[in-house]
Amino acid sequence: MDKLKQWLKTITLYEILVGMKTTLAHLLHYKPITLQYPHEKRTLPENYRGMLALLRYDDGTEKCVGCDLCEAACPSRVIRVVSAEVPGEPTKRYAKEYYMDMTRCLFCGMCVDACPVDALGMTREFEWAVYDKRQLHLNKQQLLAIGDRSFPVREKRLELQHPNTAFFNVAFKHVPQKPA
Amino acid sequence: MSELGLRFTLSLIQIAVVVAIVIVTVLILTLAERKVLGWMQDRMGPMEVGPYGILQPFADAIKLFFKEDIVPAGANKFLFTAAPLLALIPAFIGFAVIPWGPDWTVEFNGIVIKPFVISDINIGILYILAFASLGAYGIILGGWASNSKYSLLGGLRSAAQVISYELNVGLAIIGVIILAGSLSLVKITNAQSGWFWHWYLFALPAPQVFAFVVYVISAVAETNRVPFDLPEAESELVAGFFTEYSGLRFAFFYLAEYANMILVSCIAAAMFLGGWNAPYPGTIFDLLGLPSLAWIENTMWFAAKTYFFLFLFFWLRATLPRLRYDQLMRFGWKVMLPIALANIVITSIAVYLFPNA
Repeated sequence: MDKLKQWLKTITLYEILVGMKTTLAHLLHYKPITLQYPHEKRTLPENYRGMLALLRYDDGTEKCVGCDLCEAACPSRVIRVVSAEVPGEPTKRYAKEYYMDMTRCLFCGMCVDACPVDALGMTREFEWAVYDKRQLHLNKQQLLAIGDRSFPVREKRLELQHPNTAFFNVAFKHVPQKPA
Repeated sequence: MSELGLRFTLSLIQIAVVVAIVIVTVLILTLAERKVLGWMQDRMGPMEVGPYGILQPFADAIKLFFKEDIVPAGANKFLFTAAPLLALIPAFIGFAVIPWGPDWTVEFNGIVIKPFVISDINIGILYILAFASLGAYGIILGGWASNSKYSLLGGLRSAAQVISYELNVGLAIIGVIILAGSLSLVKITNAQSGWFWHWYLFALPAPQVFAFVVYVISAVAETNRVPFDLPEAESELVAGFFTEYSGLRFAFFYLAEYANMILVSCIAAAMFLGGWNAPYPGTIFDLLGLPSLAWIENTMWFAAKTYFFLFLFFWLRATLPRLRYDQLMRFGWKVMLPIALANIVITSIAVYLFPNA
C-alpha cells in the first residue's frame, strides 16, 4: 500500500506540485523583505561594530597614549603605531603616528577591548566603499576626524573623572590638537 | 502594382506585425520574469529604472547595444558571427505558421489573404519542428567557435539535450495530429472549436493529458530553461555556450531563448488548449451583434493561453533546482519517451475504435 502511494506520488509529480504551491502562495501573499538600500537604510543594532576611530577628550586632547596594545591585539595587523615621548615630559608618551590599513580590518573590536584608555571606538559608519584601495589606508588625522564626527559628545579629561585611573592614563594639551 | 508585388507587400506587413509583437513580448518577458521570480522569492525584482522598474528592459537593451563586441582570440570568426543568427532565425521563423486569431479570409484587390496567420502551409507543425532542430546548430557552433572549454561543454550538453527532448516533443504532439488528421496548425485549431471539452487536452475519444504533460516538460527542456538549464548552468559552466559572447551577439542569443519560449507556448496553446478558441462556443462579440470584432476576443484568448504557459516557465524556475545531467538524460529517454510512445498507441487504438467520437 505504501509502495502504491509512493508510486502514485511519483507519477502525479506530487512533490513538485507541493513546491509550486509554496511559490505561488508567496506570490499571492507578497511581502518582500528587501530594503531598497540607498533609499532606505536598516536600523543598526546598538552594539554595531563599524568603522574604527580615534577619540579625544572634551577639551580636544587625544586619548591615545601610544602603548601599542591595539597593535598587539589586532589579529590582521591592521594597526601600526609609532610611539614617542611627549616633548619635555619624559614619563608621558603619545602616538606620534598612527596608521590603520582598513582593507585588512575584520571589525572584530579586539583593539577597542585592548585599549587601556578607551582611545579607540567603533562608530556606526559602514559606507566606506572607495574607488581606490589606497584611500582605505588611514592616518591619525583621518581617524581622529572620524571620531570627531561620530562622537561629538566626549568624555571629560581623566583627572576630572574617577580617581581610580591608571597612572599612565593622562592626556596632554600640547600634543596634536583638534583643528579649530 | 502587380499582383505579385501586392502579395509580397501584404506578407511583409504581416511579418512585420508578428515580429514586432514577438519582440515586444520578449521585452515584457525579461521584466516579467525578474519580477515574478522576485515576488515568489520575497524580493522585489528590479526597482530602479522607472516607477517600479518598468523601464528595466529598455535599460538592458541600451546597455547591450553599446557594449563592446569582443571576439575571443583563436575563435573561428565566421562561425562565431553566424551562431547567434543561426539561433535567432529558427526561433523567429516558426511564428510564420502560428494562427493568432480566427481562420478568416480577407479579399484585397483580388488577392485572398488570411490576416491572422502569415502562411497556412499544410505541414505547419512539421515545419516548426524542423526549424527548431536547426536552432541546435546555433548553440553547438557558438559553443565550438568561441575557443573556450566552458562554451564547448555547454554547447555539447545543449546539443545532446535539445536532440533528446525534441524527440519527445515530436512524439507528444503526434497524438494530437492523429486526432486532428492534419499537420496544419490552422486546421488543428479549427477542429477544437466549441466548448472547452473539445480541446485536445480533454477531447474524446483519447484525452491527450499525458501527451500534454510530456510536451510541457520536454518544451521546458528544449528551450534550456530551469530546471533543465544544464547548457547554461551558471554555477558550473559560467554561462554555457554564450560564455564568450557580449553585446549584440549576446542579445541575439537572449532574444532567441525568449522567442523559443514564446514559440513553444504558442504551440502548446494551439495544439492542446484550443488556440484562439474561447472555452465556450462562439464569442461574446457574436452574441452582442458585433461579429466583425470577434477577432479581438479570440486573439485575447490566444494571448491568455500563451501567457499562462510563459508564467508556468517562470513558476517552474522559481520552484525547482537544476537536474543532474545523467538524471536529465535518463528522464528523457526512459520516462518521457515510453509515455509518449504509449500515448501514440493508445490514441491510435481509440481513434480506430471510435472514429466518430
